[in-house]
Amino acid sequence: MNLTGVKKIIFGEETILNRIAEMGKQISDDYRDKHPVLISVLKGTMYFVADLTRQMDIPLNIDFMSIGVYPGITKNTGIVRINKDLDINITGRHVLMIEDIINTGLTMGYLVQNMEARKPASIKVCTLLNNPHKRLMNIPLEYVGFQVPDIMLVGYGIDCNQEFRHLPYIAQFDDSVLTG
Amino acid sequence: MSIITISRQDGSLGDEIAVRLSQRMNMQLILRDRVISEWMAEVANKYQLHMLSESPRFYLSEFKDGMSFKVYIEKILIKFAEMTPSVIVGMGAQIIFSDHPDALRVRIIASEQTRTERLRKKYGLTGNEAEKLVQQGDKKHRRYTSVLYGVEWTEMFNYDLVMNTDNLSVEQCVEIIVHHIETKSLLSSQSFSDDDENNISQKDYQAIHFKHPAEEEFARILDMYGIEWEYEPRTFPVQWDAEGNVTMAFSPDFYLTKFDTYIEITTMEQKYVTIKNKKVKRLRELYPDININIVYKKDFHTLLKRFGFSGEDEINEFNRS
Repeated sequence: MNLTGVKKIIFGEETILNRIAEMGKQISDDYRDKHPVLISVLKGTMYFVADLTRQMDIPLNIDFMSIGVYPGITKNTGIVRINKDLDINITGRHVLMIEDIINTGLTMGYLVQNMEARKPASIKVCTLLNNPHKRLMNIPLEYVGFQVPDIMLVGYGIDCNQEFRHLPYIAQFDDSVLTG
Repeated sequence: MSIITISRQDGSLGDEIAVRLSQRMNMQLILRDRVISEWMAEVANKYQLHMLSESPRFYLSEFKDGMSFKVYIEKILIKFAEMTPSVIVGMGAQIIFSDHPDALRVRIIASEQTRTERLRKKYGLTGNEAEKLVQQGDKKHRRYTSVLYGVEWTEMFNYDLVMNTDNLSVEQCVEIIVHHIETKSLLSSQSFSDDDENNISQKDYQAIHFKHPAEEEFARILDMYGIEWEYEPRTFPVQWDAEGNVTMAFSPDFYLTKFDTYIEITTMEQKYVTIKNKKVKRLRELYPDININIVYKKDFHTLLKRFGFSGEDEINEFNRS
């Protein structure tokens, strides 16, 4: 396997799974009798949501959402589009948004506003990784797996140009290989 | 246009322009003297009226149910302006109506030499007397907006239109203002094209006076994500001198209303970034409940690249002005 650019491992497989088990237990306790809908933001969350939900012992639903940013027609604008919308009606439901990593918070800010428009009973945010260094807005994060430094990461669902998602660990990535 | 605020230097012809403009546009003229003699006389005694004429700091004192004279004037100005289209002269109206969507904020200036000469002729003064009057007037006006709002009176970004009457007559200035209003009304009545596929309401970016092109780009990014924002809605005093005068204030570029977060954009050189960092640090110390984030040059460029601005030329455009 070509791992050019992949540097040191930040979180190993065992460390990740242990932390996710803790999170799963805590979320189960908090949402007991609430039958929550977990909304997984594709694609980076695919392994996280799979492992997290298998650590939860309460009734729940899982749905997926995908958004993308596309160049706009007019000068200096872009468009945020929903590539895959929810299949489940979340009105009146307790919603838990699942993210792989939150950096600026723009994506989660967009999603939270989008979800709120559908009138759920509650919305909370769960992220495996939190990089507060680039945060633009104050988004309350209810569940955080790990705080991370302001470096580029790959693995366990997180990609660089769609590569390295399948690594079982999370590693630092040397982005100079992209331009060098 | 329902509100026109006129900030003027003494001897700049600002008062004369305000009078002619109100007549031309058939708008109510609100002068400071009228506010003091008519509106304030209802709530203030003789001593308080005298102090209001002399001391900006006295406007901060409370007179009824915890309400200060400053707040009272703001409320009454807003109330009257909403009832009747108004030309408001002075009183920091350019700050009070800074976020009003239907306000035009005009500033009238002239060189000290021109103003001195005008006052000398008008009041039959000597050159020295007139010069002193001009300087005292500037000091008084500056102190008013500084004490009450923590804003530098001469800061041009607080105005939509600035005119120098060294070579402009009263009539010419009035014509320029009227033309500006008519053009703005025409533009705002035109519908936008429907190429916004994300259902985010288009903003008239040109109507917002961004200090730097990077700020406009950032506003567009926020709009892409449907994140509501306000541009420089609040100024925070962050440093005072021994007498309590505000010596440093800070107006963060954006406020994200839903997320209760202020954002300051900096694409400047390091020496200026250091000053901004100092202001942000002071703001956090003085206002611990305020959420503020600073976006540095590198992070801003990363954001731009993410949204397709990969060309160095395009990015460097933001650093030229």
